[in-house]
Amino acid sequence: MLIQQLLNGISLGAVYAIIAVGFALVFNILKFSNFSHGGVLTVTAYAGFLISSKLNLGFVPTILLTAVAGGLIAMGIERVAFRRLRKKGSPIILYFVSSITMGMLLENLITVFFSSNFYSYPKFFEKSSFTIFGLNMAVTDALMLIISIVSLTILMVVIYKTRLGIAIRALSMDTNTTSLMGINVNAVIAATFFVVGCLGGIAGVFLGLNYTLYPQLGQLIVKGFIASVLGGLGNLFGAVLGAILLGVLEVTLTNIPFIGAGLSPVVIFVIMLIFLILRPQGIAGKIVHEKA
Amino acid sequence: MGLLFSVLTFTSITIIGVISIFIITGLTGLFSLGQASFMAIGAYTSGLLVTKLGMPFPLAIIISVAMGVLFGLIVGLPTIRLRRDYIALVTFGFGEAIIAVLNNMTSVTGGATGMAGLPQYTNLALAGGSAVVCIFMARNFKYSRFGRQCLALKTDELAAKSIGINVTRLKLTAFLVSAGMTAYAGVLFGFYTTYVDPGIFNWTKSAEWIIMVFFGGIGSLTGAIVSALILGTLPEILRFASEWRIVIYSVTVLIIINYRPKGLLGERELKLADIKKLFSSWRKAL
Repeated sequence: MLIQQLLNGISLGAVYAIIAVGFALVFNILKFSNFSHGGVLTVTAYAGFLISSKLNLGFVPTILLTAVAGGLIAMGIERVAFRRLRKKGSPIILYFVSSITMGMLLENLITVFFSSNFYSYPKFFEKSSFTIFGLNMAVTDALMLIISIVSLTILMVVIYKTRLGIAIRALSMDTNTTSLMGINVNAVIAATFFVVGCLGGIAGVFLGLNYTLYPQLGQLIVKGFIASVLGGLGNLFGAVLGAILLGVLEVTLTNIPFIGAGLSPVVIFVIMLIFLILRPQGIAGKIVHEKA
Repeated sequence: MGLLFSVLTFTSITIIGVISIFIITGLTGLFSLGQASFMAIGAYTSGLLVTKLGMPFPLAIIISVAMGVLFGLIVGLPTIRLRRDYIALVTFGFGEAIIAVLNNMTSVTGGATGMAGLPQYTNLALAGGSAVVCIFMARNFKYSRFGRQCLALKTDELAAKSIGINVTRLKLTAFLVSAGMTAYAGVLFGFYTTYVDPGIFNWTKSAEWIIMVFFGGIGSLTGAIVSALILGTLPEILRFASEWRIVIYSVTVLIIINYRPKGLLGERELKLADIKKLFSSWRKAL
């Protein structure tokens, strides 16, 4: 029973991890909390639905196409909402407001065009669950876990082994110096947003599969935020750790009859507050200082 | 006429909300994405006190505002020392938590179906008068020693600290004042619509207010008021476009941030002389 819950929690945490990492990546290079990521989640959840139902595609092609679509959307967001701000060297506050506005815009565009009807993903699999070592697992949960692990591994390889990854890490330290080293900052930031959008697209499909499709789906971005606060703002490994912790916590709390699914946000909030008092730098350690 | 009155009343309540955001975001540069939950606290506390306990309205107002401040303290104390992002995140989480509580305490709050049957105590005179008082308070705030310290803090926190400003206390004060003020707006709102449900107070509401402050100009009190007037009344008048309302808001704000990042008025305040000048130039043009 305990192991069963742990397994469910980890596979929920796996989706949160993809959201949290996408959020942490942008925080790393531009130093603001990117609320527009929630909009990407909503749009890709619906895009994935359209792709799978209109083109009659299976699961894997749907995920791949949606990831690419998410990447393009995120690049578009960067173009519209952040590029000019960066050119003019605007204060961080404006990035923040811009990203909130962008998130609201996407969410409400979906509301305008889709909220009148009820949509749900086509059934991808014959069986909905299977048993392994006496543990029950939903097929979507298993896929969620596998695909999250695969995409996070690919991401880590990209970040730590490729030229692009080096450029991204350099940017996260200092934009001007990176630019002086002959790196095309605009291109690297656009590429980062593409990567972030791909992660958002994958997460969007899973959210759409797990919950029904509704325009406010993107507000689950808050799970990504909480996960990265727990893990340490802007730290990728920390974000993954925090997300899995959060997933396990949520599943456990939902199974406690007194708390249930309804009150678990309250408990999570209280845990987050206590965490911030005791260890504001997060699990992973380093605190991000405001530049003087 | 009834429509006009109700639009004006709602706008007055919006102005109070926007001013509370102005105090926290405009003066100290912090973001509260859960500001609407303080409104929920005000509305629900006062509503329960009046309908369930039969408490007189003015006493209920005082207790509700105190509740708002108390919750502000609970949220603010642990987070106010940390990086600015945390305030946004924690207030966001706080908003979720409050909505979850309201939705689940069905026996007390009516759950997701909401709380109905509040008497309509709020009228235009009360709401408008309160808005004027809040504007006056915020003005005095801005031009007091407190406001100047806030300006220093917003511009450069480290420098403000180094000249001996108690940054933490300053931020906490601004946060608590704005929490109390929003709770009061919630009381007015609940006793005007006579019905509240948790869904009204989600984060989009808070974000809307932040957008209004930015639309008007981040450092400008009159800018915030003017934009609350414009953005608050327009959608009420253009009811047919209600679906597109937020879309239009968002596009407007994106354009403003990209092409006129200081907002309508920037740091400037609209003065009576400005308006006179505007009128005389119109007369000349005619």
